[in-house]
Amino acid sequence: MVTTTSPARQRFETGGLWLLLTAGAAVMFFPIYWMFATAIRPRDEIFSGAVNLLPTGWVWGNFTAALSRMPFLDWTWNSLIIAIAAVVITVSLNLLCGYAFAKFRFAGRDILFIGVLSALMIPIQVIIVPLFLVVADLGLLNSYWGVILPRAAEAFGIFMVRQFMVSIPDELLEAARLDGASELTIFLKVVLPLSKPIIAVLIIFTFMWRWNDFVLPLVILTDQEMYTVQLGLNLLKGQYNTEWTDIMAIALLSLAPMLVIFVFFQRQLIQGIAGTGLK
Amino acid sequence: MTQTFDRRTILKAGLGASAGLMVTGRVNSSLAQSPVRLTMAVWGGKAEVEAYNQVIAKYQAANPNVSIRLDVIPFGQFYQQLDTRLAGRQAPDLFRVTYQQVGRYALGKAAIDLSQFIDSGYSAAFTPSVWSAVNYQGKPYALPHHTDTFALFYNADMLAQAGVTVPTSLDQAWTWERFIQVAKLLKEKSIGSYPFAMSWQNSAVHRWMIYLYQHGGQLLNNDLTAPQINTPAGIETIAWTQSWFKEGLVPPSTSVKSAEPVQNLFANGTVAMMLNGNWQIPFVNQQMTKFKWGVTYLPRDVAMADDLGGTCVAISRDSKSPEVAADFLKFLVNEENMRDYISAAQFLPVRKSLVEGGVQYALRPDEMKVFVEQTKTIPQHLVSTVVLPTWGKFNPKLADELDLAFTSGQSPEQTAQNIEAHVKNILLSS
Amino acid sequence: MADLSMTYPKERSETTTSRKSGWWSSYRSRLTPYLFIAPNLLLFSIFVFFPLLYAAYISVHQWSLIDAPEFNGVQNYTRLLSDGQFWQSLTNTVIYSAATVPTSLILGLFLAIGLNRKLAARTLLRSIYFLPVVVSSVATAVIAAWLFNDNYGIINALLKQAGVGPVAWLSSPRWALPSIILTTLWVRIGFCMVVYLAALQSISPSYYEAAVIDGATRPQQFRFVTWPLLRPTTFLLLILNVIYSFQVFDLIYVMTGGGPGFSTTMIVQYIYQAAFASSEMGYASAMGMVLFVLILLFTLIQWRINRRTEQFV
Repeated sequence: MVTTTSPARQRFETGGLWLLLTAGAAVMFFPIYWMFATAIRPRDEIFSGAVNLLPTGWVWGNFTAALSRMPFLDWTWNSLIIAIAAVVITVSLNLLCGYAFAKFRFAGRDILFIGVLSALMIPIQVIIVPLFLVVADLGLLNSYWGVILPRAAEAFGIFMVRQFMVSIPDELLEAARLDGASELTIFLKVVLPLSKPIIAVLIIFTFMWRWNDFVLPLVILTDQEMYTVQLGLNLLKGQYNTEWTDIMAIALLSLAPMLVIFVFFQRQLIQGIAGTGLK
Repeated sequence: MTQTFDRRTILKAGLGASAGLMVTGRVNSSLAQSPVRLTMAVWGGKAEVEAYNQVIAKYQAANPNVSIRLDVIPFGQFYQQLDTRLAGRQAPDLFRVTYQQVGRYALGKAAIDLSQFIDSGYSAAFTPSVWSAVNYQGKPYALPHHTDTFALFYNADMLAQAGVTVPTSLDQAWTWERFIQVAKLLKEKSIGSYPFAMSWQNSAVHRWMIYLYQHGGQLLNNDLTAPQINTPAGIETIAWTQSWFKEGLVPPSTSVKSAEPVQNLFANGTVAMMLNGNWQIPFVNQQMTKFKWGVTYLPRDVAMADDLGGTCVAISRDSKSPEVAADFLKFLVNEENMRDYISAAQFLPVRKSLVEGGVQYALRPDEMKVFVEQTKTIPQHLVSTVVLPTWGKFNPKLADELDLAFTSGQSPEQTAQNIEAHVKNILLSS
Repeated sequence: MADLSMTYPKERSETTTSRKSGWWSSYRSRLTPYLFIAPNLLLFSIFVFFPLLYAAYISVHQWSLIDAPEFNGVQNYTRLLSDGQFWQSLTNTVIYSAATVPTSLILGLFLAIGLNRKLAARTLLRSIYFLPVVVSSVATAVIAAWLFNDNYGIINALLKQAGVGPVAWLSSPRWALPSIILTTLWVRIGFCMVVYLAALQSISPSYYEAAVIDGATRPQQFRFVTWPLLRPTTFLLLILNVIYSFQVFDLIYVMTGGGPGFSTTMIVQYIYQAAFASSEMGYASAMGMVLFVLILLFTLIQWRINRRTEQFV
């Protein structure tokens, strides 16, 4: 905002705001920090009842111990394959679909669009059993496809793409059509290059959703060799005898890919969302 | 893993692939030499899973054509997973199931009748109460694998500090009054954060009935056709267990709907005593390094009573090779393997020969003797109640109502009335 | 998202169809949009619409999952009307939504405005606030259960040092829901912040310059420039957050299991319990249908209201 107040007062205000925001950030960060502090704590101190906000020992061995006790790397590999394949498929399909909703007029469009939107609202627990039956009948249980395909038509993604593409000028498309370009060429050569920001957003969100997916993989992937990171974490937590250092170490490792992605793509994410015409 | 992906992808590309696999599976079961793949779904802690894997490895060594995959599912999601897979006709060949739940799978014909695979005299080797538990309309739908029961774990250092000695024989077991007296003494002297805790979380609310039977009550009448909870005995038992929470004798987080692992509270000295099962011994033994501990008998009231725990193993209707599955199942529960399993995972035997001959436990053999003695106090009527095929429906309602009494101040009278109404509904609708 | 109401591009189809002659090319260009949506629609039909129809079918049956479904007409629906626990869990869900949705929006907006300014370590602060959004629900529940644990959680340990407590965070009817609400806010604020931040960045500075020329104070700028321009964003976030609130499951499943009593039993929780603990899939599906209709109605009403007020802005 543009301001009319004096520079001194403004500096004072900014300082106060900064302190407030930093204090808030400290609170927000504490749970993550506490995971870390728990993960590297000596095992026998976990339940000692002593309050030590700072790490009392740096037992990095807890990480390697946790990794040697469970096939975390296999889980990560499964999660990566699922998330990456899902990003490629979901983002492509959503771009195609969102483009059609944004730039064409056709019979049944509004009804279809509302249908898509309402699909976003169904809690998966309501349809999980029928969904399982469908996946089982298609022979996709315990396969990567069994968790990728059911979520490929991501309502939220279609919605975002549509909102973004509405703002692409029609004139550009018309000009390409007059040059004799096919509809697919127009999409690939004209629309996609303009859509980079929204593609970045979709990639980040889709990766995040699939990486964090839980309820669907839980019923589809029953073979432990197919487990994802989230299923592994759930298995750990569900074992009778809770080992908090292991759980926190694994939970922290499970966050790592998302952290890396967010730190590197933060700017693209915000610009991309800004580009969806949220104004 | 990439290889798996490629192979699966190619497989899925062919529409007939899965049908082809199914046909192969069927042929396999008749030709004992060609490979058979079985899946077995279980839950369990480290010791249990290792013990299962040992039996599997042994069987696979003797039968090289059979490979068995163990699916370990967290207990909290076990029945949800199993039921969903049964609905999709994709259930594992074999599954672990408690005696409380097996009736439901027999009723729904989700488990197969095993009488075709066993000789007529086979049942005589098992203890009668568990054998009756796996039977439905005179046919066995699972084979008993082990049992377990409850006793009182105590922190020996804390009790010594309070100057309390524990009973050393079953007939000297503490009365309810004495037990509460000890608890209050511990609280007065601020030994441990709370005097004790009871393990009835995670859909194990049926263990509350230990106290109901000790107090001379029953959930159902003698012929299991009507509720009998809204009686003085029922109401008093609710009031007694409610008083544990009211008077701060147990941690508030240990009510029936919570997910607090009670054994953690015991191992780290938060509670001085814990009412729990024998399978906790490996965990406590490993984790409780700062205190000495022991096990004594449950408290008793007008009667002594204990809970029928433990599990059996059933074969699902979706198994493509039921004969091979049955062969493995009989192998799993034969005398030698049952002994190995229960001694490794600290369970109690369900074969008469092992009950009589005794089992050498790797850990805490003296404590295990207490549990063995407690199994003799399990009321037959309690067993008949919890093995009803409809028990699965009672369980959540009982948990809801008791939780309201323990955490939200619902009166014992109201609680008994509500349970009675639920029980009536369930009995009527089935 | 200029607004959620359907602002579609101007009619254009006549130019595309009349450009070339012949029925085939006209037919083809008519077909084009359908080809673009076909793959998505196919997957939608198989994996969303069909299961939904199937759930509707199951909702008029009695089915325990392991036996054969048995038709029982509208019995499940009539039972639902008199099921106090169903209505209580619905009320709980409404309370939970009312507590989490406006709070996340307000805090998110505040953070966005603050972090849209030039501040030291701005990127780091933004990242920290957004961090919880990327944490999976399983991990969130694990962390929360660990922090809030009555007996050895750090929150109670700190309170104890300060001479307060211990508070039975997850096991008293008074504190269980607030604990879950706090955890929810931890996750949601960052999401609201990022979306608001994006919206703020797309507001042209010329609006503020004009406002300053008119002598508007900072609060007035917010009141007359920022807030109206953020309306569509607020609306989008409102809808999304309400949907999330109605779908909350994993968090509660792990932290309290719906207890103590029914104090944290939400509607999805109750559906899940009916389906898998009581083995009444038919009844669970009937509740699912009712929930679906309720959310749909809510969204349609919001949509209408939004469109009407938009016209006056």
